[in-house]
Amino acid sequence: MTPKLAATMDALTDMQRRVVKWDDGPLLVVAGPGAGKTQVLTCRVARLLDSSPDERFRILGLTFTNKAAHEMRTRIAMLVPDAAERAEINTFHGFCAQLLRQHGVHGGIKSNFEIYSRTADRQAVLEDALRGRPDCFGGGDDRLLTQIDALKARLIGPGQAAGHLRAKAGLSPEAAERLALAYRLYEEELSRSNALDFNSLICQAFELLQHPSLARHCRTVYRHWLVDEFQDTNDPQYRLLRRMAGDGFRRLFAVADDDQTIYEWNGANVHRIRTLVHDFGCEVIQLTDNFRCPPGVVEAANRLVVYNVQRDPAKAPAASAGRHAAGDEPEIQSRVFADDGEEACGIAADIAALGASERAETAVLARSRALLTPVRSALEALNVPVALLGRRDDFASPQVRWFFACLKQINRPLDRRNLATLAGAFTSFSGVPLDVEEVIVRSETDQVTPLAAWFDAVRQAAPPGLPAVEAVARLASGSARLADAVAEVMECFKGNDADGALKDDLSAWRRLEREIRQARGSVTLDQFLQEMDLSSKEPAPAPGTVSLGTVHGSKGLEFDRVYLIGLAEGVFPSWHSVNSGNGSAAIEEERRNCFVAITRAKRRLILSRARSYRRRSKKPSRFLGEMGLLDQVASP
Amino acid sequence: MRITRVEIENFRSIRHIVVDLRDTTVLVGPNNAGKTAILDAVRIALTRRWGQRGTGFSEYDIHMADESTDPKASSGVCIELKSEERVPGEWPDVIVEDLGNIVQLDLDTDCRSVALRAQCRWNADEDSFEPSWEFLAADREPLVGAGARRTNLERFWRYLPFFYLGPLRDVGDEFSARSSQFWARLLRDLNIPPELETRALRVLDLLNRKLLKADPRLEGIAETLSGATRVAARDREGGLDLRMVPLKTWDLLSRAEIILRNEPDRPWLPLKRQGQGIQSLSVIFLFQAFVEHLLAGLYEPGSEPVLALEEPETHLHPQAVRTLWGHIDALPGQKIVTTHSPFFVQHVPFRDLRLVRLTAAGTEVRSLPERFSVPFPPVSGLESVVESAGERLTYVPASGTLTVHGALEEGLYRALLRCCGQDEQRDELEALLRDLKDRSSLYVADDELRALETYARRMRGEIFFAERWLVVEGQADYLLVHSIAHALDYDLDRHGVSVIDAKNNGDPVTFAALARALDVPWFAVFDGDGEGRKLLRRIERRGFSEDERARRCRLHPDGDLEAQLVADGVGTELREVLEEAGVKNAQGLDDEQLVVQLKGRKSAYAAQLAARVRSRPDLAHRMPGAFREAIDEFKGLA
Repeated sequence: MTPKLAATMDALTDMQRRVVKWDDGPLLVVAGPGAGKTQVLTCRVARLLDSSPDERFRILGLTFTNKAAHEMRTRIAMLVPDAAERAEINTFHGFCAQLLRQHGVHGGIKSNFEIYSRTADRQAVLEDALRGRPDCFGGGDDRLLTQIDALKARLIGPGQAAGHLRAKAGLSPEAAERLALAYRLYEEELSRSNALDFNSLICQAFELLQHPSLARHCRTVYRHWLVDEFQDTNDPQYRLLRRMAGDGFRRLFAVADDDQTIYEWNGANVHRIRTLVHDFGCEVIQLTDNFRCPPGVVEAANRLVVYNVQRDPAKAPAASAGRHAAGDEPEIQSRVFADDGEEACGIAADIAALGASERAETAVLARSRALLTPVRSALEALNVPVALLGRRDDFASPQVRWFFACLKQINRPLDRRNLATLAGAFTSFSGVPLDVEEVIVRSETDQVTPLAAWFDAVRQAAPPGLPAVEAVARLASGSARLADAVAEVMECFKGNDADGALKDDLSAWRRLEREIRQARGSVTLDQFLQEMDLSSKEPAPAPGTVSLGTVHGSKGLEFDRVYLIGLAEGVFPSWHSVNSGNGSAAIEEERRNCFVAITRAKRRLILSRARSYRRRSKKPSRFLGEMGLLDQVASP
Repeated sequence: MRITRVEIENFRSIRHIVVDLRDTTVLVGPNNAGKTAILDAVRIALTRRWGQRGTGFSEYDIHMADESTDPKASSGVCIELKSEERVPGEWPDVIVEDLGNIVQLDLDTDCRSVALRAQCRWNADEDSFEPSWEFLAADREPLVGAGARRTNLERFWRYLPFFYLGPLRDVGDEFSARSSQFWARLLRDLNIPPELETRALRVLDLLNRKLLKADPRLEGIAETLSGATRVAARDREGGLDLRMVPLKTWDLLSRAEIILRNEPDRPWLPLKRQGQGIQSLSVIFLFQAFVEHLLAGLYEPGSEPVLALEEPETHLHPQAVRTLWGHIDALPGQKIVTTHSPFFVQHVPFRDLRLVRLTAAGTEVRSLPERFSVPFPPVSGLESVVESAGERLTYVPASGTLTVHGALEEGLYRALLRCCGQDEQRDELEALLRDLKDRSSLYVADDELRALETYARRMRGEIFFAERWLVVEGQADYLLVHSIAHALDYDLDRHGVSVIDAKNNGDPVTFAALARALDVPWFAVFDGDGEGRKLLRRIERRGFSEDERARRCRLHPDGDLEAQLVADGVGTELREVLEEAGVKNAQGLDDEQLVVQLKGRKSAYAAQLAARVRSRPDLAHRMPGAFREAIDEFKGLA
């Protein structure tokens, strides 16, 4: 055993070690917040690898976010540097993409397909797809893409769509046929473009795995499977897992917490944990120690969550296990403000008084993004730098969007749709409009690539930012390296960054570059772009920056100091859930949201509410009462 | 795992060839036909020797159609290797796990495979020929993502370690403790227990001292030489000693050598003092020892070697060469062998043989395959035809490959044609099927080949080295046709024509089928009797067209050989021959009696007549027309 792994194993609790060493078939670990879930997962992978130095099997680790995958990979590489290569840690989508690149040919998918993650790209595909049928889709329809996504998220193919829509969604035969047609045309257009969208990754992999030999192959190559955050696995992902497992696959290890199921809107479901235990015959072990939160928060969370009646009744309450030095400040504070504006200013002032290092460990969480906007403005007014938590499908600045599109164009010289993205982004920061159709015609007559034709067109217009274009042109001609081109282009754009978007993007770019290098070593341009497509483009946290995020965006994170704002009925819990009534699934999910939010806190939790939001008076959130904290509320 | 198929493009003399490889594959062909190019192509795809100085790639490696070809403008060398399971589950799990990123599946047969493409072409930016390797998906497009990771290549290579033994196997090199690919590694891997090592060194020291004392002059020499250390002395005194025996264990081991004697009462001699044949052979067995004792340790538990072996027969006596096949075939791993020895080929199964030759279109390879494939789109109805054909047809949708096992029968062919009826590209599809049918008609079935194994062992060695075949009926024809050709100034041996007296070697029809499959130009002359006509009918049934039959096959118009000779007016000479052979009243025989007598003394009269014909061109011109025409045809081929 490597010294590092031995030391890490020694530091585990008996219960954690039992889980890490588990060798008796399928296991579900129910781990509450701060139970050392990531530690247990990485130790387990490291132990399995370390104890089989002469074997070649791999371990499949499925995570919910790229960030979690990256963190696990990094930790495993530290614990067992020589064997880490045998750990395939990926998101569900990333894993499916890999499966399709290797075996998709059996479903008519080429290995070099592109992944469309941006809604804009997908909307463009849909428009192109429907162009041939103005009779049906002449008027345009904003909801089509969402409706198609909803079908794909249920693994309903274009062929079954019409029937499903009539029978299950109650659509008229005409409406059902029309939507099914749009779906089919959209899929055909994607296929023509040699592209898949995020939902297709799961759908197509699911299709492919119906071949027993492929599922068997996956089981041979990946001898052990670990699933992180199982509670947020949605139906297609779970069905995929089941299909791949066939009958009697026993080396499954899942970590879940039904109290943290907050992706029901995405198809996650508290009952799925029970299904898993039943389908796979899992043993269940609970990790109840909470190493993260101070005792008061652990108790509040325990009190809160028992109000959920759908939760597993056998679940033991969490116990505070961390070493928390008692400070001057109470662990939990409550604030009440007159209205939402004051709440934002009050919280911002509070944070502005903190030192830079404290700020970096501080987060403001809210149920919805809208609530965070005034907080952000207030913080910025006080010169406190902020960063938004959560996934970004695209770069924020047109400059980096343009540069990224240029790289894609170099990689796929004939991609017209990307050329339009490229030109659009360029226009939006240079102000120079260029007709894409004209560029394409020119490339055909001059027998050059569309990108080269575009370069020529730009040179004639001589806009600002031309040096950046020349840097990309050198990259395209092969006379400059990627790293140099990136540096040069970023240098050109410096100082032209009013809203900080460019700085964010640059930071995100560097972070992603580093992560890709760590995970995959030196990669080709094509591989680099694929990894980029799958990754979220948020910047790396800057020093002294306060994190602002929704509860969903804070999943899996932890901060010394957490502000949870908007704790009022109709805000958190949301208006919709309040209407559904106490005991409804919607309220229960809101309660889990609250549970997740407060358990992000490592030292201090500040709960705040205002008496009115948007000029409507609001009662205190029921969750405050349930946590036993309503009494303590004192007006400032 | 084994390499099952190699496809090579634009490499040296090769423009484009596909070679199916078996456990042992034997390449037969004249010098410069491209046999070594095939071995080198496999080596290049399985090692990192491209791009290295000295051993690496040069512009001469790019196939040039003519002198003016610019290698820099070429699309470059492309070598594709495929390794596929013959039955599902053949590969151990460890290989599948380790190569998990590049393994492809055949969803119908469940067989797993890996395909690797190595390319080398001119890169103007780098100003050099740049090699590249990539793994392929089932549609033969490069794998993207995890399958494109560099580490896959090293891993794949570890399972197929490649070894090359050239025709000149020098014992000095191959048993060198420093540089040999097998011997040096075996010696270095030897495990001597430390106690034994200490003891051995002590004994050596003692021995050394005794030797030094044996002749007093030795001490004097040592004393004189030690002056050197005094001249070069630093602060502390050095020393000098004479060492008569090895100083270190490695010195001892590295002197290990093979000694042997052929018979009990002969002296033991080192391998280097043995004959060339023994030396050459011992190197082959050294490879076996290496694989058995060291390979798994040096590579992976599932690794199997690929041995490229050139001319294993070198320096060996024919009797020894005959037994060689068994030994080579039994060597561990996969073997690709080149040979120029008919004695070696005698025992090689037909399906393992590959005939390599150089044509105007570059190197070509012929063999006797069991199945034939064609790229074919998944047209409607195809699935059910394939389904109903059972084991005769297979279709892999991922790669779009239609394969027929054995010959494509008319009924199946028609069923396949019907599938194309609705398709837009009907004409092209029909052309593909026609091509498949034509090629699969070259199929020679196992039982026919088995019959040849039994009857034609002697013949087999020879005919695979011949450039043309002349199929005749028996020994008499054999003798006569050689003489006739010689007298007509077309020496059959010199022109690479093998005369096959089919009656003694199996079935003439099989030889016709073989010739067609192997693309060997051939002609046949049969007796103009019932037997001969029956042969023609059977040849017709093998799918030879009327034109083909008319051009290739001839019957003596006046009956069997003897009747023909008499009809051709060589009765006088024949009577003389019989007289010399002791037949009384030979001159008095009428034609009918003459024929009867001749038939009773076939080989005797034929040998005599052949001897006469050889020295008398005028007589040769009176020999049966069918023979002369066939010889003229051969002349026309040149």
